[in-house]
Amino acid sequence: MPPMNIVSTLGLLVSTAVVAAGCGSGPATPAGSSSTEATAVAAPSAAASPPREAAGPVVNVTIAAGVVTPTNAEVEATVGQPIVLEVSSDATDSIHVHSTPERVFDVQPFPGQRFEFTVGIPGRVDIELHDLNRTVVTIAVKP
Amino acid sequence: MAEIAETVLAHGVGGSTDLPLPLPYALIGGVWALIVTFAVVGVAWRTPRFDPAKPGRALPPWVTNAVNSPTVRGVLAAATIAATVWVAVAAIWGPQGNDNALPGAFYVLLWVGLVAVSVIVGPIWRVISPVRTVWRLLGRRPGARDGGDRRRRYPAGFGYWPAALGLFAFVWLELASPDPGSLTAIKIWILCYAVAMFAGAAVFGSTWFARADPFEVYSVTVSRLAPFRRNPATGRIVIGNPLDHLPTMPVRPGTVAVMAVLLGSTAFDSFSQSKGFRNFVDRNGAAVPLVGDSGGGSVLRTAALLVFVVVVGVSFTAAARATGGVTAEQRRQLPGRLAHCLIPIVVGYIFAHYLSYLVERGQETMVRLADPLGRGWHLLGLDSSDVVYFLSMNPALLWTIKVACVVIGHVVAVIAAHDQALRVIPVGHQLTGQLAMMLVMVVYTLTGLYLLFGG
Repeated sequence: MPPMNIVSTLGLLVSTAVVAAGCGSGPATPAGSSSTEATAVAAPSAAASPPREAAGPVVNVTIAAGVVTPTNAEVEATVGQPIVLEVSSDATDSIHVHSTPERVFDVQPFPGQRFEFTVGIPGRVDIELHDLNRTVVTIAVKP
Repeated sequence: MAEIAETVLAHGVGGSTDLPLPLPYALIGGVWALIVTFAVVGVAWRTPRFDPAKPGRALPPWVTNAVNSPTVRGVLAAATIAATVWVAVAAIWGPQGNDNALPGAFYVLLWVGLVAVSVIVGPIWRVISPVRTVWRLLGRRPGARDGGDRRRRYPAGFGYWPAALGLFAFVWLELASPDPGSLTAIKIWILCYAVAMFAGAAVFGSTWFARADPFEVYSVTVSRLAPFRRNPATGRIVIGNPLDHLPTMPVRPGTVAVMAVLLGSTAFDSFSQSKGFRNFVDRNGAAVPLVGDSGGGSVLRTAALLVFVVVVGVSFTAAARATGGVTAEQRRQLPGRLAHCLIPIVVGYIFAHYLSYLVERGQETMVRLADPLGRGWHLLGLDSSDVVYFLSMNPALLWTIKVACVVIGHVVAVIAAHDQALRVIPVGHQLTGQLAMMLVMVVYTLTGLYLLFGG
């Protein structure tokens, strides 16, 4: 009886690992088109050449007709790295950066707005659009 | 700035959340959980070892005297009333935005702090509960006690079900309501809680607090893991093996439901932060009729939260009943008699999930409480620059602690379940009879690690 238990539980572990791996690579293709852009710019710090090492992620955010793209995108950064939000909007709204401490940026109804900030405490930082009540991007800030 | 409070904040208190567990940590934790489970089931002891009747090691008499002392209890109760009034003043007259101390005091210090204290010193909420204190004070009025005999007996069939409902109401507010950070929502919740507590106590007497106060039942539940307890024979406070203490969890209707709400909601908290679930809520929230976009999101989250709780409750009940050699009546009793084995998994997972939250958001809350009215006070010299983010700054340490909490909780649960199986399952069915339970515990633990890994 014990060997069966081993087999079934090991099988479970393997299947869990497979599911985990599948999910880890899966979310690279989110809903919006610009979100792939955001994730593409996302991981420069490791592979980048020396001059670009300090450059952090740039997330392009478009707000049009009450719809924001991307939503629930995922991006990585490191502590102290400048994170840039390039916002183009047709309405006023406010962006809440749920870092520690929190930050708020006011969005105006025109294109080409640029908000830059750094995060000092590692963690998952949600960036939310307040009026539209959507999470735009979650930034995994590593030490 | 007041409208900031309307934003959906993570857990209602804002700030960043923990980085997800890297895969190697989750896998190593999972493998250890499996190995220990197998070892316990396959090669461990064959006669029950843990017994609530064991005397434990008696602490010096002054400890028992202090615990029993009406003065000590009165001082603790008064201090809690003072803290409650302090938070209430901050909530009502303090800054009505993100800087208010109420969400942190409610979601962090009360909800998570209560677990941390109860698991170390015991069921402290019974002593400090503000509703009990107020009720006792009301009972001192001349003539008030005369009503005691006319009160109804609390129906045994209700068991812990009212508390399970109250706990669900709490986790609903934190994880599934339209705006967990809303001060108004929290105030309404607390008002409903107070009304429910006093109304129930007016009908059933103070038994109502023991069965229906979500915080008291939460505190009593996790306190079964505390090293300190009272020797039932002598009344002395003793220190002993928590595994001897664990089976003293009262078996009442709703005990399994309480565990299911606690474990299911913590798992849902991880799950609801995943990208897949957020996308699902964003896409389908507007399709829910009558309640609008954010209301629709809340409906979907509520349904998912309920699914998590029900899955935990049903799977545990089914696994506990899956044994041979028992009568139908005995089979019905098995889930309750095994329910205490879930406590270590619940506590381990809660610490894994909320440790940094308790330590760091807890400090931030203390700083806010030092300036309750937003006037720039620094009572006790507390300043936001004093907050130490040691756990967040050292993610590898935090990940190790998280995995350790989950695995240790799992191991203790498996040991307790094995021991209890030897007691409640007839000889000849003891090995096969506990397989389903072990499997379900492994599934809980691997799912927990997977969710901490970030799905």
